[in-house]
Amino acid sequence: MNFNDIYTVPAWPRRILSVWYRHERVYNSNFISNAFPPFLEPLIMLLGLGIGFGAYIQTMGAMNYLLFLASGIVMTSSMYTAAFECTYGTFIRLEFDAVYDGMLGAPLSTDDLIIGEILFAGTKGAFFALAVMIVTWLFGIITYPWSVMAVAVGFICGLMFGSVSMWITSFTKNINHFNFYFSGILSPMFFFSGAVFPLDNLPQAVRWAAQVIPLTHVVTLARAFCVPGQLKPQLIFNLLYCLIFILIAGWLALRGIKRRLID
Amino acid sequence: MSDFAISINNLHKSYGKLKAVDNLDFQVRPAECFGLLGPNGAGKTTTMKVLYGKCEPDAQPVSAIDIYGYHPPKDALTIKSFSGIVPQQDNLDTELNVEDNLYIYSRFYGLPAGEARKRIAELLDFMELQEKARVKIRELSGGMQRRLTIARALLNRPRLLILDEPTTGLDPQVRHLIWSKLRELKESGVTVLLTTHYMDEAFQICDRIIIMDKGKKMLEGVPRALMKDNLETYVMEIYGMGQETAPSKAAEEYPEIRCERYDDTLFAYSNMQEPLVHFAEHLKVSDYHIRQANLEDLFLKVTGRSLNELQ
Repeated sequence: MNFNDIYTVPAWPRRILSVWYRHERVYNSNFISNAFPPFLEPLIMLLGLGIGFGAYIQTMGAMNYLLFLASGIVMTSSMYTAAFECTYGTFIRLEFDAVYDGMLGAPLSTDDLIIGEILFAGTKGAFFALAVMIVTWLFGIITYPWSVMAVAVGFICGLMFGSVSMWITSFTKNINHFNFYFSGILSPMFFFSGAVFPLDNLPQAVRWAAQVIPLTHVVTLARAFCVPGQLKPQLIFNLLYCLIFILIAGWLALRGIKRRLID
Repeated sequence: MSDFAISINNLHKSYGKLKAVDNLDFQVRPAECFGLLGPNGAGKTTTMKVLYGKCEPDAQPVSAIDIYGYHPPKDALTIKSFSGIVPQQDNLDTELNVEDNLYIYSRFYGLPAGEARKRIAELLDFMELQEKARVKIRELSGGMQRRLTIARALLNRPRLLILDEPTTGLDPQVRHLIWSKLRELKESGVTVLLTTHYMDEAFQICDRIIIMDKGKKMLEGVPRALMKDNLETYVMEIYGMGQETAPSKAAEEYPEIRCERYDDTLFAYSNMQEPLVHFAEHLKVSDYHIRQANLEDLFLKVTGRSLNELQ
């Protein structure tokens, strides 16, 4: 029987967008409680570390310490929100609320679900970066006009940690196991990515290791847009790293979650 | 293109060593209400999931599945575009209200906003939820959530409606409402496939059923005819029989009576009431109850009275 005149499957960009729209609606249904913390966190961080440490450390390398810190936590904020979304958030949708089971009753594929969700993690990454930027602009910590681009880097950061977290979720059986990911992988990354202190004076081996972890590359990119005189052609390699990382982690996530959703 | 809405042949699905569905065949005609019955673990839900690509059948032996000329899992998206799926567990977005839940879902079908709003109003009306449009899911009763999940599956005006235990855990009023809505849909030409382990549900709305057990088809047919062909008209239940063997022996004297026992209850089946009464007098018991045999008795006869390891 030919139903093509009456029933159509939307093209894949629309399907992915409809998944993104679902997440956006649910996130914004709690607008106040979801939109406030992204502003509060950098404020506490900058006040605490800035005033506390700042009394002893005025400069970090050749840079004002507050500027150094602010241009780093733009990315850690994006990283954590994307990681939370695609670990705890994804796990709850997968196992407890069975949200995906409901969505898979509509003409969506598992790939649509996962790509839409990673895009949403990117959007959250951009939003959290924007929140940090607004705080730093208001306090006059960052004044460089190119710093608006840090929001775009936040999007890339969100895609990276959204996809890798989703892959981790695809083989996590117990929600408590995410503790290992957060304490064992993301916390060290927070410190050894150059976000809160420079990597230059660390032992050679640690510096090499820092180049392998994804956060280092987005921090380098974000800082280049926030601090005058750091935009150099070799940043293209950092960007390339990010894109390749997203493709590989995204592919692993697609494969892993599909295996989990389709019996 | 066959004359059937759904045609399933040699369906096999294993999870490791467990054969969830074992060589299943059945056909569903357009605008028919077809029921899959069976205890938990019989393979009903797995069968449903295969139809819309949520579950992939075994690679070997090859299963043949045809849904209006389309074949899952390859054509799963197309099949879902003309089907409505009601999963066993309600999975609405609890943070959102009724209307938003339906609106978000309408986007998955690519419905234009205006058309979606119109359709949502129609469906809330149809499922008698119009007053709840702005209420959050958390504040809805179980029956309302179930009706909303069904309404959600109707957004695309489906040709085929697949429901996995549509009325499990609901009170009688809601069950009757859902049955009457399903009948209405069937009359308008929608093919309905549902799973249930409620025998009255099968009797109320199914044109034809199959009874499954351990992944296999045990019986197939029209509910009333199945009972007539496979079961006596009356059943007598005698309670508190303990482990005595005397009654079973006594029954041998009554060739028109068939006995089954479960724990300390004896079930005696016959096409006539009289021999049952005589039998009860013979046993000198007073605590007995004679009633018409129903689909549940047939179900238990076919699938066994005791629990299996999957229940």
